[in-house]
Amino acid sequence: MAWDYSEKTKQLFMDAVHGKPGTHLGEIEEPDGLGEHGSMACGDAMRFTFRVERHPTDPTQDVITDARYLTFGCTSAIAASEALCALIEQGRYTPIEALKIKNQDIVDYLEGLPNQKIHCSVMGAEALEAAVFNWAQRRGVDLQKLGVDIHPDEKEEGRVVCKCFSLTEPYLRRKIKELNLKTIPEITNAVKAGGACMSCHHVPGGLQDLLNDIWGAHLMQLPVLPNFAMQTDANAPAATQTKEPAPGLSPYQFNKKVDKVIEEYIRPQLQKDGGNIEIVDIKDTLVYCRLSGTCAGCETAAQRLKLIIEEPLKEQIDERIRLILV
Amino acid sequence: MKLVYADNNATTQVAPEVLDAMLPFFKDQYFNPSSMYESARPVAATVAAARAEIARHLGGVDPKEILFTSCATESNNTALQGVVAANPQRRHVVTTAVEHPAVLEVCKHLQRSGCEVTFLPVDGDGNLDMGEFIRALRSDTLLVSIMHANNETGVVFPVEQLARITKETDPQIVFHTDATQSLGKLPIDLTGGFAGVDLLSFSGHKLHAPKGVGALFIRRGTPCRPFMIGGHQEDGRRAGTENVALIVGMARAVALAAERHDEDTAHIGRLRDRLETVLVEKIPYVQINGQKAPRLPNTSNLSCHYIEGEGILFELSSAGICASSGSACTSGSLEPSHVLLALKVPFTAVHGSIRFSLSRYSTEEDIDRIIEVFPQIVQRLRHASPYWDSARNEPRGDVDTLFRPKHHK
Repeated sequence: MAWDYSEKTKQLFMDAVHGKPGTHLGEIEEPDGLGEHGSMACGDAMRFTFRVERHPTDPTQDVITDARYLTFGCTSAIAASEALCALIEQGRYTPIEALKIKNQDIVDYLEGLPNQKIHCSVMGAEALEAAVFNWAQRRGVDLQKLGVDIHPDEKEEGRVVCKCFSLTEPYLRRKIKELNLKTIPEITNAVKAGGACMSCHHVPGGLQDLLNDIWGAHLMQLPVLPNFAMQTDANAPAATQTKEPAPGLSPYQFNKKVDKVIEEYIRPQLQKDGGNIEIVDIKDTLVYCRLSGTCAGCETAAQRLKLIIEEPLKEQIDERIRLILV
Repeated sequence: MKLVYADNNATTQVAPEVLDAMLPFFKDQYFNPSSMYESARPVAATVAAARAEIARHLGGVDPKEILFTSCATESNNTALQGVVAANPQRRHVVTTAVEHPAVLEVCKHLQRSGCEVTFLPVDGDGNLDMGEFIRALRSDTLLVSIMHANNETGVVFPVEQLARITKETDPQIVFHTDATQSLGKLPIDLTGGFAGVDLLSFSGHKLHAPKGVGALFIRRGTPCRPFMIGGHQEDGRRAGTENVALIVGMARAVALAAERHDEDTAHIGRLRDRLETVLVEKIPYVQINGQKAPRLPNTSNLSCHYIEGEGILFELSSAGICASSGSACTSGSLEPSHVLLALKVPFTAVHGSIRFSLSRYSTEEDIDRIIEVFPQIVQRLRHASPYWDSARNEPRGDVDTLFRPKHHK
């Protein structure tokens, strides 16, 4: 798999490791804020330090003047660290303002990151947050009083959901909401959870349970119709907009119900016009029918008729039913 | 900038002799070898000659025992799934934890479909424990699949011995080996030392033939169902029109490797040893994975402590050097190489592995270039690493506890 990094990412990495002036590799001695994130065992780790210009009376007015990092990780981890420092120094932020820098800002600065590397930008944002919390401690600033979420519930050890990367439930819940993660691959890309042994994906209390709990279980429902059924008419509602699929019908009950609707509603109408209908087969929600009588043999009439027949079946049995003319 | 290609365990360049041998079959010799007319006859004869050539170089086996496939992955799938399909009464498979995914994942698939699979571990040098191997053989063991040489570390398993022990334990057990990395580099005599091997897989593109062709040796009498069906080719054991040009190319490549074996081995081994000697001398905290085990002469798998391999590869690539890494960032998963994990490479080094793999086309200049560039790259990335004390040029004192997550296994 070749690299699909942006030119900007490659350039930042090369500039940084070759020590180009203006880059931020290194560590500030006696820093005002120090934050760490990741671990060597997990494949990337970052130590982030910054220095502030201290405000004489109000520490919340401190301004970050210098930021440095040491990063163990891949090309994009180092480039993301570099991007973080550049963003911070450019902004002349107070530490509290700097918290507004999110991983997406780092991704934008890098002119994009491959999906599976998003966690590199998240690592930068996390290390920054840890450093700001560290600064607040050193400077006696009560962040909670200022309305900053310091995730007090994560201070106590939560239940570990992803053992490979030691990620706890409270942390994952916050990240899923904060980064709007909707699927397991999105979680893995952003914070690595579930990316190694994968045993936490579909176990009780695992990643899918967290997703269901946060976003509701509907995400689990995938459209079950085969693609070719969708081509039959463009006006039909998409399968995903279904109200409520026929609840708990066995194939026998389902077939019987289709039969009933055809007998009671559809056949009498067709017969009025001298036509008729015969069910050839039913496979899941695909109903194969043969039309006979006046409308048989006329493609346009048949297709129009198909919509008319399909409608009561969908309404009365299952939104996903598709009629296929044989 | 001259390219330094040191990733020959991934694929190799096509040898000029191989290309020459193939060209007629891309041009006027395009006939289907199964066709009846006169023009197709030489094409069929060429395929037969290629088969005989390969059979000769595998120790003079019957050409009928050689099956052409599209790649080693297909050969492995055919061997494993074919043997299991043909022997419903036995359900136990023995393999190792360090196999190529083309065997490992197939074994996991067999596991899901009802087989019991024993994955043998290796020690820190990459060797199997013979006692453990013997204990793994059971009365219901159907198949043993153990690779000849490891693609990542180059560590060679004693396949002759393993196959013999297997057969002496129970001649009904089928022995398969994946020889993709070793064919052409190590002698393989299927009528001599390898007489206990029933199935042997390899591909062309690891020994200077093109990608898209492989072979499977199936010893006569080995119960194995066809995997690809839908044609009479290969005596009905592998359907699909023969890839004539590539088959010719692979046969030429096998012959070439045999002709040049001594010369190539000496040349490649000399280059590899010089590379390792100098790198170990120049770089502190580097380890050679599998060094104490018997290894292929062309493979060097180094782990640099406290840095990550993907960054190394990126810098190497910028310097025109092609290599590969077992780090998590290059594996497609978030976990580092299963082979290095099986070797219990320490967590400080498992992410910083680099594999250089050489070929007969590697030169002294290639090695000079790697030796010139690589230590600087390691130095630079260590300078960026939070685990490295740049001032003292050694790891930080608290490196074992630093950042280390509490729950990590």
